[in-house]
Amino acid sequence: MLFNSRTKSVQTFYSLLLLSLLMNEVGAEETINPDLQLHGFIAQGIINVSGSDFVNDSGELSAELTEVGLNGSYQLNSLFRLTGQVVYLDGGNRYDEGFRVNYALLDWSLHHAEDWQVNLYLGRFKNNHWLYSGTRDVPFTRPSIILPQSIYFDGFRDITVGADGAALKISHSSDLLGDFDFNVSSGTTTISKEQTQILYSEQALGKMSNSRDIKTSLYWQPADSSWRFGLTLLDADFGYEAQAQGDRFFDTKMTFQRVMVNALFEGERWEFSSEIIQERFVFDGFYFPDFHHDKLGQGYYSQFRYKIDNSLILLARYERFYDDKDNRKGDGLAEASGGLLPSYSGYQHDITLGFSYDLAEKFRLQFEYHHIEGIARLTPVVLPNLAINNSKRWDLWAIQLMYWF
Amino acid sequence: MPISFVVMFVLVGILSSPAMACSTQVIANANVTSITKSQLRQIFLMRQLYWPDKQKIVVFVLPSSDPLHQIFSKCNLGIFPYKLDRTWNKLTYSGLGVAPIVVDSHQALIKAVTSTAGAIGYAEDFAEIKDKYVIQFQN
Repeated sequence: MLFNSRTKSVQTFYSLLLLSLLMNEVGAEETINPDLQLHGFIAQGIINVSGSDFVNDSGELSAELTEVGLNGSYQLNSLFRLTGQVVYLDGGNRYDEGFRVNYALLDWSLHHAEDWQVNLYLGRFKNNHWLYSGTRDVPFTRPSIILPQSIYFDGFRDITVGADGAALKISHSSDLLGDFDFNVSSGTTTISKEQTQILYSEQALGKMSNSRDIKTSLYWQPADSSWRFGLTLLDADFGYEAQAQGDRFFDTKMTFQRVMVNALFEGERWEFSSEIIQERFVFDGFYFPDFHHDKLGQGYYSQFRYKIDNSLILLARYERFYDDKDNRKGDGLAEASGGLLPSYSGYQHDITLGFSYDLAEKFRLQFEYHHIEGIARLTPVVLPNLAINNSKRWDLWAIQLMYWF
Repeated sequence: MPISFVVMFVLVGILSSPAMACSTQVIANANVTSITKSQLRQIFLMRQLYWPDKQKIVVFVLPSSDPLHQIFSKCNLGIFPYKLDRTWNKLTYSGLGVAPIVVDSHQALIKAVTSTAGAIGYAEDFAEIKDKYVIQFQN
């Protein structure tokens, strides 16, 4: 999803689209123009990780916690709307540093009535299927600086954050049954060399591709209820084309599937959210031509937030992730690798405590502490950096200041 | 899922219910004379974007910290203000849709609604507003 990973024509299209939005803003008069909206955010923090390479290899305090974004929306007429967002992210080892076009799309209102809305989104769209995926890069919309890695694995960020293609959203509201939102999307993602090496290690010299990515989700909020429930599915195919010379790995076909359920409760002071995931990862090749892998991973988190007042919110979260549901202690992984991989590379559990405090309108300070056991959601996934990730338990704290408009 | 989760779901579910006396007027610059709580919720959650006569709805609100906004949110809509913010932020920053337009003051909100075709907003119950802009709220 990086600028330098796109073909020139696609870059030009997105740039022109965003430029047209900005030019409309420049030309706008002081009177309110309901058709145009321009928003953004900026956040900077510091993060300290002890015992893993989650953010850097040195283990030193890091300022690689920067998120800046600008997005605009322009309603062309009653049927069509243009919208786009550019972000700059720096997360250290979590993902590749740089600018990205997060979304740039044409929103086509296929049908609108009092209780039905049908929208088709064409172009680059965000993954809006999981609880926090649609705004995972927007700091003030997240419950925590670091999202639960069982679901929102930062190593997969550029692969799961969105896609180029089409997405359909159908919304229905009923006084009797409540609100329903059905989403389905199909597209592909261009995967950069940097992203490939984040996942597979720097010894992967080949090219990773995404040939198919279908996601769907259904959300239901019962009438007059503070609860919301969701079901989401994902089915995606990837390939790895090894470099002819010098590549440690072989050509690979991969299939990645997810089934997830979630629940969200939003009361006046209490909030609860939980997502449960089962993911299947199948691949043929990679380590050697006849290698076959087919495993089911599982994970979940439960998160509580309590609002002391309108400014201060406390956070507590409990998360567990198992790379192989039939081998929850990771012993099988250690055996299969001939002792190269420790058993704690087969899972990753996290206990998080934190708070956010609104210093002023649209100006927030967020802090959190994570105590983590296991390294299954660290990168590179294929060849874990055991020289650094040599602790079964590790922890991190982070503090971030954010402003938005 | 462990039984403790089910217990938590139930416990959390009984902890909240918004209730407050309404001291607001619902105002609109559209071909409507009354509106139900359900319709108002759909409009302010941006799930209904057009009036029955096909005119585009333009939603104006005050900053979420404004007491009038909080009263309107809890009383007229039955939605906690922070939840409205989250819904609007998700629409705005994910590309899915657009959020209401935020204005700075009560007077600015009245002016914005009365001067924008298809607009809807709210005002304090003692605010002097021409009858044609005040629509009956059916709780």
